[in-house]
Amino acid sequence: MCTTDESRRGRAYAAGLEEIRTGRRTLLKVAGAGGASIALSTVAADPAAAGKVRTPKRAYVLVLDGCRPDEITPETMPHTAALRAGGLHHPYASSVPIMETIPNHVMMMTGVRPDRSGVPANAIFDRTLGVVRDMDRASDIQVRTVIERLNAKGLRTATVLSKEYLYGVFGARATHRWEPGPIIPVSGHAPDAFTMEAALAMLAEHDPHLMFVNLGDIDRMGHTDLTGAVLDLKLLRRTALAATDAQVGRFVAALKASGRWNQSLVIVLADHSMDWSRPDSLIRLQPVLESDPPLAGRFVIAANGGADLLYWTGPDAGREAGVARMIELCSAVPGVLRAHDPRRTAWLRTGPIGGDVVVFCKAGWRFSDPSIQSNPIPGTHGHPTTRPIPFFLAGGHRRVPRGVTASAEAKTLDVAPTLAHFFRLGAPRGGYDGRSRLPVG
Amino acid sequence: MTAEIPESNVRRRTVLATGAAGPAFAGTALGAGASYADRPDHTLFQHGVASGDPKPRRVVLWTRVTPTTQATPGSGKGPQVTVTWQVAKDATLGKVVREGTFVTSASRDHTVKVDATRLEPETWYYYRFLVGKHSSPVGRTRTAPARGATPANLRFGVVSCANLQAGWFAAYRHLAARDDLHAVLHLGDYLYEYGGEGSYAMGRENKRIRAHVPDREMVSLADYRQRHAQYKSDPDLRALHAKAPFIVTWDDHEVTNDQWRDGAENHQPDEGDYLVRRARAHRAYDEWMPVRLDDTARLGDGTRLFRRLRFGKLAELSMLDLRTYRDEQVHTKAPSPVPALEAEVSNPDRTILGAAQLAWLKDSLLPGRPQWKIVGNPVMVAPVSFAQLPTELVDPVNDVTGILPRDGAPYNVDQWDGYTDDRREIFTHIRDHGMRDVVFLTGDIHSAWACDLPFDLATYPLGQSAGVEFVSTSVTSNNLKDITGAPARTASLAVEATIMANNRHIKYLNFDDHGYSVFDLTPARAQMDYYVISDRADARATASWTASWATMSGTNKVHAVDQPVEGR
Repeated sequence: MCTTDESRRGRAYAAGLEEIRTGRRTLLKVAGAGGASIALSTVAADPAAAGKVRTPKRAYVLVLDGCRPDEITPETMPHTAALRAGGLHHPYASSVPIMETIPNHVMMMTGVRPDRSGVPANAIFDRTLGVVRDMDRASDIQVRTVIERLNAKGLRTATVLSKEYLYGVFGARATHRWEPGPIIPVSGHAPDAFTMEAALAMLAEHDPHLMFVNLGDIDRMGHTDLTGAVLDLKLLRRTALAATDAQVGRFVAALKASGRWNQSLVIVLADHSMDWSRPDSLIRLQPVLESDPPLAGRFVIAANGGADLLYWTGPDAGREAGVARMIELCSAVPGVLRAHDPRRTAWLRTGPIGGDVVVFCKAGWRFSDPSIQSNPIPGTHGHPTTRPIPFFLAGGHRRVPRGVTASAEAKTLDVAPTLAHFFRLGAPRGGYDGRSRLPVG
Repeated sequence: MTAEIPESNVRRRTVLATGAAGPAFAGTALGAGASYADRPDHTLFQHGVASGDPKPRRVVLWTRVTPTTQATPGSGKGPQVTVTWQVAKDATLGKVVREGTFVTSASRDHTVKVDATRLEPETWYYYRFLVGKHSSPVGRTRTAPARGATPANLRFGVVSCANLQAGWFAAYRHLAARDDLHAVLHLGDYLYEYGGEGSYAMGRENKRIRAHVPDREMVSLADYRQRHAQYKSDPDLRALHAKAPFIVTWDDHEVTNDQWRDGAENHQPDEGDYLVRRARAHRAYDEWMPVRLDDTARLGDGTRLFRRLRFGKLAELSMLDLRTYRDEQVHTKAPSPVPALEAEVSNPDRTILGAAQLAWLKDSLLPGRPQWKIVGNPVMVAPVSFAQLPTELVDPVNDVTGILPRDGAPYNVDQWDGYTDDRREIFTHIRDHGMRDVVFLTGDIHSAWACDLPFDLATYPLGQSAGVEFVSTSVTSNNLKDITGAPARTASLAVEATIMANNRHIKYLNFDDHGYSVFDLTPARAQMDYYVISDRADARATASWTASWATMSGTNKVHAVDQPVEGR
């Protein structure tokens, strides 16, 4: 689940405004196609401004937030489907646990797993602060992103991120940043039409070498689509697919019209998929654990939609027994797919702040912790059924294969290695966990 | 070729040996001067050569040697023989890259089965067997791609249900004429148990195009061995075995009709203990088929047939055994194909896979495995039923009453439809783990199908599909028109239309033709081309393409394709 805790709302934007107010970033306001003002900020000390490196290459990462791969068809999303057909398609592509927005966007830009990046989920229990919080702070990312590595090489980077917590977690890393608006109060995101206006303005004003764009409508409409669990109708969702597809079409048209297409790599993917559940398919672990005397008062749950992260907060000496007990109790709850001890589940790699127990739900279910009101929305992700994502490389650059489909499994954490390969950055210290999806060469 | 076996290749005693390095123990001594090649026209390699279960670095090679005219299959006669096997990259075996020797004897019906190792991945090889200067026919085989390879495609011939009494194996002949098959998937009913006048053969009259050997129902070990030998004497089957590696599973007729864990419809008390009979059948299968049981080519070390074969990152094939572990079929009040109303088909205590194979199959369908998850599936998994109700309604009713089959009233309870809880378990597992590109390749029912696999049958096509299923028709065994006696594409059309109208996930159905299929796999799609033969009673029958269906990666749904894949 993409948390909607109103108490946290606005913090990331406030931090951004502070950067502008104190002069660390400068602000440029440009008029969008509809006359709306678009705010783009630029880091004050821009190493790229000196033009140390000159390359015609351009890379654009378009994240169709929450899009399922089977939703991209010539009928539902003609522009996107055509783009996919003309490039390198990875039909076997996956989100990485926890299948949530923030960790997978971070994996895209870092190329490493959460145990290295430091960002395992949307929401964690912060033991230092003693609260469950979103991972929306720039300091949450513990490694250098490909954005910073490109900056260091003297290349211009840009983020155009529709969601507040993405704006927050990537912070001031990019040379140029969209200051999102307008923001829909409940969803905490900017509609795709405005996001794309900003992306096009960014293209025109700053021509970044790398632009990282998140289009949030498909995800947001998915979350709130009450027809998703009713015979799989997904009426709202279908509307969003068509609208977002139109925005993708605008972006490609702009690349071609401006002459950038032939130098461009366009990576299109989603951060996770989407599943729908009925109101009677709620899982509540809080009362189950709280009613168990050994656990009562000694645990905290960080809810992540289709995944609950459980933290042992009792004495250290009781941790092993507490973890075992949490796994035992959770495993017996209807709708739970599996409860994992991350230390003993090699593929999970959620790291030390990702919970002492990770519990996934089955398809068609969702968690609602700590209270039954905590998760009222039918669309959910975070659990394994939401692993499949679209993933393809497009663009006119000569290194982008044309009309090829690959069998290798691609993952969100392949984006950074692909960008590094494209710009010939090499691997960071410790190497990437993902791998480049460009052909060798 | 005449057989003049050098003395050095023949031990002076007949022994029981389990393989090249197996222990030998006492048998019958042959008299000095006994002849091992007692007729000038005697042929040592009468049953051809075969290969199977390709892996990146190894493949099973098979033949049977007939050292004397008396050493007929199932006879228990004949001396121990040392056979040399050779592998090369050229058809003339000019440069042998691997070779070895193998000792066989009457104890294993003079079959030879070796796991040729240290081969190169994704490579065509040629092989032969030698006894002295006498050579077997040369066979061709191919290793699987390396674990990390990304092959552009895989192409399999797909066959099932070859009743020798019901016709000629023209389907095998036409597949053998192709040069583009990386392997042949045989999905079961490789041979049939029947024999004698009036036994299961062609059409309603059970006309026997060819009589089985022995001409009685196979029950003893000698019977099973002779029957295997007869099938491998068929020139069309021999040609196909020599052309490409086989990947096989058994269905029921390799033992006897409608077999289940502890019995079979076609096993009577006067035929002895069923499990003893099955052990004989499995022993003969292990001897005569180029397959690894319990993951080895050795005899007698187990009968686990379910196994995985990986083809780089493109695909993994999970071959199922749906006979050895299943519960008995539900006894229905009405005979098949009248839809069965017995809720027992959905009893969660009943299984078609068995607990171990169920867990193993679920493991095959987890993240981290190759792109396409192909399941070699002896009986149909797609529901074929009538009067379905949404699971949202059925499940609460059954919680109280247990009176409704979960997926409607099935017409054939010998399929997964008779064991719906295992199917629900697998499909739910697929959904819970976000798996895609699961393709079931199926035989058994003597007809050709292409289906989606709905999570909820009643509401489909609303809702999602767990994968797809392509069913290949029979090589010769009777289909609907043969049973009804109606001309092709007449009475069957109404039945097909009725089934498809009641089962909207079934997109293609052909109840009338015999033939084979070609399954082609690329990263973008999986495609099944359906070929039919002109007349199974005609040894020179022609073959023609009749339909193609495909699924695009990630869609879990089939669609029609207007032409077969190129290449032959």
